[in-house]
Amino acid sequence: MTAALRANPVARPPRRLRSLLPYLLISPSIILLLALIAFPLLFALKNSFYFWNLQMSPNPMGFIGLGNYTMAWSGSLFLGALWNTLVLTILGTAIEFVLGLAIALLLVRQLPGLNVVRALLILPTTIAPIVVGFLFRYMYDPGGGLIPWLLHAVGIPLPPQGLLGSGETALASVLFADVWQWTPFFAIVLYAGLLSVPPDIVEAARLDRASAWAMLTRIKLPLIRRTALIVVMLRFMQLFNTFDLVLVLTRGGPGTSSRTLGYSLYQQGLMDFNIGLSSAMTWMMVIIVNAIIGLFAFFAFKDLD
Amino acid sequence: MTITLPPAVSRRGLLKGTGALAGAAALGSVPRRARAQSKSLRILVAGDPFYYALDGLKQQFKDETGIDPQIESISLEALQARLTSSFVSNQPDSDVISVDQMWLGQYLESKWILPLNDLIKADADVDIKDYIPEVLYSMNTWRGQVGTLPVAAYGQCVLYRKDFADAAGFAIPTDGSWSWADYLAMIKKMNGQTFDGGKMTGTVVAGQQPAPIVHMYTQLAASMGTRWFKSFPASKAWDFDPTIDTPENLDALKLFVELYKNSPPEAVGYNWFDAGMRFAKGNIGMFYWWTPYSYLCRKDGYMSGKDSVIADKIGIVRLPMAPGKEQVISIGGHSLGITANTAERDSAWKFIKWATSAKTQKAMALYDKYGHQFSDFARPSLYKDPDLLKLYPYLPAQMADLQRGNGKIVRPPCPVYTTLEGIYGLNLNKVLAGDLEPAQALKDTQTFFSTILKGNFLIPYKQPSYDDTLEATKQLMASLG
Repeated sequence: MTAALRANPVARPPRRLRSLLPYLLISPSIILLLALIAFPLLFALKNSFYFWNLQMSPNPMGFIGLGNYTMAWSGSLFLGALWNTLVLTILGTAIEFVLGLAIALLLVRQLPGLNVVRALLILPTTIAPIVVGFLFRYMYDPGGGLIPWLLHAVGIPLPPQGLLGSGETALASVLFADVWQWTPFFAIVLYAGLLSVPPDIVEAARLDRASAWAMLTRIKLPLIRRTALIVVMLRFMQLFNTFDLVLVLTRGGPGTSSRTLGYSLYQQGLMDFNIGLSSAMTWMMVIIVNAIIGLFAFFAFKDLD
Repeated sequence: MTITLPPAVSRRGLLKGTGALAGAAALGSVPRRARAQSKSLRILVAGDPFYYALDGLKQQFKDETGIDPQIESISLEALQARLTSSFVSNQPDSDVISVDQMWLGQYLESKWILPLNDLIKADADVDIKDYIPEVLYSMNTWRGQVGTLPVAAYGQCVLYRKDFADAAGFAIPTDGSWSWADYLAMIKKMNGQTFDGGKMTGTVVAGQQPAPIVHMYTQLAASMGTRWFKSFPASKAWDFDPTIDTPENLDALKLFVELYKNSPPEAVGYNWFDAGMRFAKGNIGMFYWWTPYSYLCRKDGYMSGKDSVIADKIGIVRLPMAPGKEQVISIGGHSLGITANTAERDSAWKFIKWATSAKTQKAMALYDKYGHQFSDFARPSLYKDPDLLKLYPYLPAQMADLQRGNGKIVRPPCPVYTTLEGIYGLNLNKVLAGDLEPAQALKDTQTFFSTILKGNFLIPYKQPSYDDTLEATKQLMASLG
C-alpha cells in the first residue's frame, strides 16, 4: 500500500477538500465583490437610519429609524427630482436608441468614408460629461451661442431667459446635450450587432421582396434584440444617475425644473453634508432603479433563454 | 578610453556601511537634514484671485524660509467636499487650507483646524492690531477663538459705467448717501438707453441658485433691515427662530425682482463671475457686487490679462442704504487655517503669517502677471498706502464699506448654513423664474427654515450660547496684540 502511494506522487485530495475546492477558488472574487459593492451599500444602509449631519457633528448623532426616508419622501424636492429623472431617462434612452439605430443602419450600408465616420462617432463618448457640459454651456449662450443662433435662423422662438434659463426648456437642453454625447454609443454597439446578422437571411428576405421596414422590424431587430436590450439597460441606469451635465448646465434650475435625483444626492451629500439623508436617498434610488430594471429585464428577456 | 571599476566591496564592509546608514536613519540626522533643506508644505485653497498672486510670489516664501509651498487651488464647493472627506476619514490632505467663514464654526468645533489664539499671542509678527475688526469678526472668529487669518477680504460695492452715467447726466453719490429706491430709479432710467452705438441694460443680477443669488440678495435684504434669526449671533441667548417672512424682507425681494426686470433675462442662471463679466462687456449701466469685481471687471476674462472694453470707464462707489435702517455690508472672502491633522504645524503657521502679512499682501497687489488683480486687504494700513491707492483708487470707498460690514448678520454662520442657503437660493431663484410670488417664496422659506432648524435640534436651542459681538472681537484683538 505504502509502495503504491509512493509510486503515485500526485496524491488525490480528500473527498471533503474536493467538494470545497470550487468554493475556495471562487471565494477571492466573492470577497472582492462584497468588499467593493456590498460593504459601501450596507454602510449607506446603516447610515440611512441615523441622524448624521456633518454640519452639526463629525459623528452620527442618533438612531432615527425611518426618519430620513420619511423626510426624503415627504419633501417635494425628491418627488420633483424623481419625475425629472424619469422624464430624462425614458426620453433620453428612447431618443438615443432610435437615432443610434438609424446611424447604425446607415453604417452597415458600407458607404464611402465610413472609416472616418466611425472614428468621429467615437469622439463624443470619449469626452468627460463635465467637459460636454461646458461645451454646451457656450453653445447655449443666448448672447451668441451656436444653438440659439441656429434655432433663431430656422424661425424657432426662444425664451428670453435663454434655453438654460427657462423652466420650459432647461431639462430639454440637458437632454439634448446627453443625446449628442451618447447617441454614437448606441450607434456603435447596434452597428456591431447588425454586422452579426447573417447576410443569407437578409438576402432571402430581399428575394421575398420584404420591405425595408419589414426587414428591420422582423429580421434585423429580433436578431440583435439581445444586444439592444443590454445597451438600453446600461444607458437607462447611466441616465438615471445623471449629475455632471446638470451641475454644469443648470444646477437643477431655474427653480427645480431640471433637478435630477443625481444632483439632489450631490446637494444633500456634498454640499449640505447630510450623510443620513443622502444615504436614505441613495437607497431609495437603488430600489427604484433596480425595480425598473428588474421589470424591464423580466419582460424583455422572458422568452429568451 | 578607460573604464573605472568600482572599488571591491567586501561583505564585512557592506555590512558596516549598511549598519551605519541604518543607524543614521534611526537617529534621524541625515534624513532630517535633507528634509529641512527640501521641506514642502501642502496648501489647498479656493481658486479666487488671491491664489494667483500668492502662487506667483511663493518663491519669496521659499527663499525666506527654505520651505517649498505647494499651492493647489480648486473650486469652493470641491474644496469643502475634499476637506470634509479628508477630516472625516482622518486622511491628512493639506497643511494649510482656505476656510470659508461659513465653515469656521464647524471646523473649529469638530477640531478639524487649530485655534490660532495662542500662536497669535506668542508672535508679534502677526500684528493683529492692523486688521479691520469688522473683517476679523465676520470671517475669522467663532466663540471667542480666532480660527483663521484673512488672506482676501471682500465687501460689496456699486460698479457703474462712468462715461455712460456722465453722458446721461446721472449723479451717482460716492459717499453712500443714496437709497435703494434711488438706485432702482436710476437703473430704470438707464435701461434701454442708447449709448456707444448699443442699447444699455439697466443692471445685472446673479440669479443662479443656491449661493450666487443668496450672496447678492442678502446684501440688499440686510441693508433694508432683514435678519435671518430672532437672535444670533450677538445675543446671550441664541434663538434660531427664522425671521425671513417679514415686511422688510418682502420689500427687499420686490425690489430685487424689479432689478431683475431691468437685467438681462438670462441672468436668472448667472453665477458670480457671469454677472461680473456681463457688466465687463460694456452694455450694463450699473450693478452691485463683491469688491474683487472692481479689478476683475477691468479684464475681459478671468486672469486673462487683457483689458475689458470698460477697463478705464468703471466708477466704483459705496452701496445705497435704506432710510431709517442701520447700513450693513456683507463681508466675505478667504482665510487661511492650519489643519489639525498636519505634521507641519510650524511651517504652516509660518506660511499663514507670511501670506497674510502687510508686506506680502502689498506684493500680491503689485503682482502684475495678470494686470494687478488683487486689492482685497484686511489690514487698514494698506488702504493708506500711496502705491496701492495709485493702482486701486477705489480703496477708500472699499475701506469705508468694510468698516460698516457685518458678515454675521448678512449671512449668519449658523451650524446648518449651507442647507438653509440651498433652500433660500432655490426659492429666490423660483421668484426670478416666475414660479413663485415673492410673498409665497418668503413664507415657504420660513417654513423650510423652521423644519430644518428643528430637525437639527437648533430650535429650541439648548446648547451654550456665545454673545458674539464686534466689541468682543475688538477686545479679543486687544488681548492678543
